[in-house]
Amino acid sequence: MDKINVDHMLAIEEPFMKAPLEQLKRSLRQSQKLVERETQQVNSAISSMVNNHDNLSAAEVNKTLGELVERLQTLKRKLEEAKQEETQLIRRSKQRATDLNELSTFTSTTQPEFQRWCRTRMDRILIDYMLRNGNVETAERLIENSHLEHFADTSLFALVMSTERELREENSCRSALQWCVENRSALRKIQSTLEFELRLQEFIEMIRERKTPDAIAYAKKHLAAWSDTEMPRFQRAMTLLAFSPSTNCPPYKNMFDMSRWDHLAHQFRMVIFQLFDLPAQPLLHLLLQTGLSALKTPACVSADPTEHNRNCPVCHTETLGKLAKDLPLSHHVNSNLVCRITGDKMNEDNPPMRLPNGFVYSLNSLTDMAAKNDGKVKCPRSGQVFSFSDAKKLFIS
Amino acid sequence: MDSLIRNSDKLAKHHAGASQKSLNSLAQLISTLEQHTDPAQQQHAIAATTKQITEQLKDLYTNISKYGKLVEKTFKLDLTSIGSTFDHSSVLNESILLHFLREGDFATAQVFAREAQLELPSVRGQFEEMYQRVEEIRRHELTRAIEWAVDHHDRLDSLGIPLEFSLHRLRFLQLIEEGQVTEALAHAREWFPRFSAQSMAEIEHLMGIFIYSRRLPSSPYSPLFTEQRWEDIAHMFASAFCTLLGLSSMSPLTTAVGAGARALPIVCKVSSLLREKRLEWSQQNELPVEVPVPDEMRFHSVFACPVSKEQATEDNPPMMMPCGHVVCQVSLEKLAKGVRPGSIASGRFKCPYCPGLSVLSDAKRVYF
Repeated sequence: MDKINVDHMLAIEEPFMKAPLEQLKRSLRQSQKLVERETQQVNSAISSMVNNHDNLSAAEVNKTLGELVERLQTLKRKLEEAKQEETQLIRRSKQRATDLNELSTFTSTTQPEFQRWCRTRMDRILIDYMLRNGNVETAERLIENSHLEHFADTSLFALVMSTERELREENSCRSALQWCVENRSALRKIQSTLEFELRLQEFIEMIRERKTPDAIAYAKKHLAAWSDTEMPRFQRAMTLLAFSPSTNCPPYKNMFDMSRWDHLAHQFRMVIFQLFDLPAQPLLHLLLQTGLSALKTPACVSADPTEHNRNCPVCHTETLGKLAKDLPLSHHVNSNLVCRITGDKMNEDNPPMRLPNGFVYSLNSLTDMAAKNDGKVKCPRSGQVFSFSDAKKLFIS
Repeated sequence: MDSLIRNSDKLAKHHAGASQKSLNSLAQLISTLEQHTDPAQQQHAIAATTKQITEQLKDLYTNISKYGKLVEKTFKLDLTSIGSTFDHSSVLNESILLHFLREGDFATAQVFAREAQLELPSVRGQFEEMYQRVEEIRRHELTRAIEWAVDHHDRLDSLGIPLEFSLHRLRFLQLIEEGQVTEALAHAREWFPRFSAQSMAEIEHLMGIFIYSRRLPSSPYSPLFTEQRWEDIAHMFASAFCTLLGLSSMSPLTTAVGAGARALPIVCKVSSLLREKRLEWSQQNELPVEVPVPDEMRFHSVFACPVSKEQATEDNPPMMMPCGHVVCQVSLEKLAKGVRPGSIASGRFKCPYCPGLSVLSDAKRVYF
């Protein structure tokens, strides 16, 4: 029986708990800003009305008031939307926590309920992988089959994918910039230069199209604001005005390079994940890297295929073994002996037995074999036959 | 974790209440404005409402932050410390596709193959057969599963997989349970003799059931009729089927992820320590710490010398002393060197774990 380390097992689910939480915080922050901005506007409009009361006609007052009412109604609608979204996020957070908490009721890893829990874990990890990779249909199928709607941050990843696509394929910064504007203060907090990079790209595109006056106006409006922190790059950008898109001068040639769009897409993804406190890689990558490493032994990478075990993921040299190729080997302070015949663990209850040729098998496997063959045992690796009584018990401390 | 869930309930309640209140006061403000009274009064109403809503939002944010702290406390893990990239997307996608196939999820496998632009491997047809049988077993239909096992009798037998007998046994019990005693006897006569060599004791035990066939629930045989037996045999069938295809009995992806669930928290910690020394965990030859994995995930023998704590290698192989204790060659040589010439043991050294004495040439190589 193997005990379950609940704290450790829960720890790896962190991204699933962080995602709704950070979305919730962001939504509330945005509501706060919205309220602040809108009420300020309404307030100042009213104030100026109060001050100019004597000079305004009743019609003018009514008109302004009508506009203000409309403004507030829009605000109310937006807050209602936010409320709905937040309610869902809180519910999701609870559902996830409840599902994960089932873990604390299990006592052993061989329990069928635990096996089932692990299967569900596999599904949600695959859903996360599919959503991050844009395999939306596969994700949808998995979500439906395993009833894991509450574990899928579909809208978040959909935003990432559509914005990335727009950058990569349509070469447009529109959605990315809009997102930057909405999250400007959060981006400033993590000192992200994403917005500068996007603005720079739009500037570069104007120069590419030879719209020099537009480019200068754009730089004045959007790039100059970054001169405090990005001065050298700002200057280099302005120098670009002197070069044509066909230039061979290295820094400027690179700036005109279309691969910048791919970099932008990647940067956008990294920044949005950082903002939502999510790992840059899918959980599946992290688990496979560390898991394969923990399973990897010298036998898995042996050139001798008889050393391989088909149940061992690392021994699958064409698939998972390839992924494990450059990973570290597992570390062992204590011996772990596995019988080559039965795959069972060899320990005090089922001790290792050495045949005269030096090969070791478990007592149980040799006893079974001897019972069927008049006390003779055959070494499966060498084919030699020995009398069971010649096998010697080993003591492994 | 329990307090986290309780807190999420509290948060939900607070959120519902506070946001509804905000919306109500906003609605009230709108109706005040619509009544077109004195602007000075309106100014006052706006200020009051703004204050109210701002405070409610602030309160809510404080509560969410508190909840967030609780989440952070329960799920403590700095995944960013793992860092290194893992760039094998096509191999990984193929592994995932195989996972879907062997789990019997053909529809998902098809969708994924199309989306990830992969070819469906040809083993697909065979997997489909496996999952039809497994589904039948789950519906308590055994006929076709038994046919399959009978067809593959020789290979199952040579691999020592007791699937066929287990299926016959289950069918026998099913007939008994349904009260078809004559059919059960016929079934036993037809199939059990084939397994008399390996399973005589079990067959004798089973045949005794006829005495109790009318009152099974109170008989000593009642534990044989748990609901779990169907699921057990379904797993046994899938595992045997995959074994015969030359595949692992569990999905390798599931096994690797299961190991990862144990390894990731440990590697995370180590990784952040290594980073202080400007080292990357994934660039090392060996993990710096042991990751405890359950027995069912141990696939290879690893011998760590109990003296030096080093893993055995071809150059430093495990050696057995005449007493049966095993240490590595290098440790053995060190033990032999430690013997003072002319001591009472006359050149022999003591095993570190028992009183047994031996000389270097007595030690024999072992292969695990």
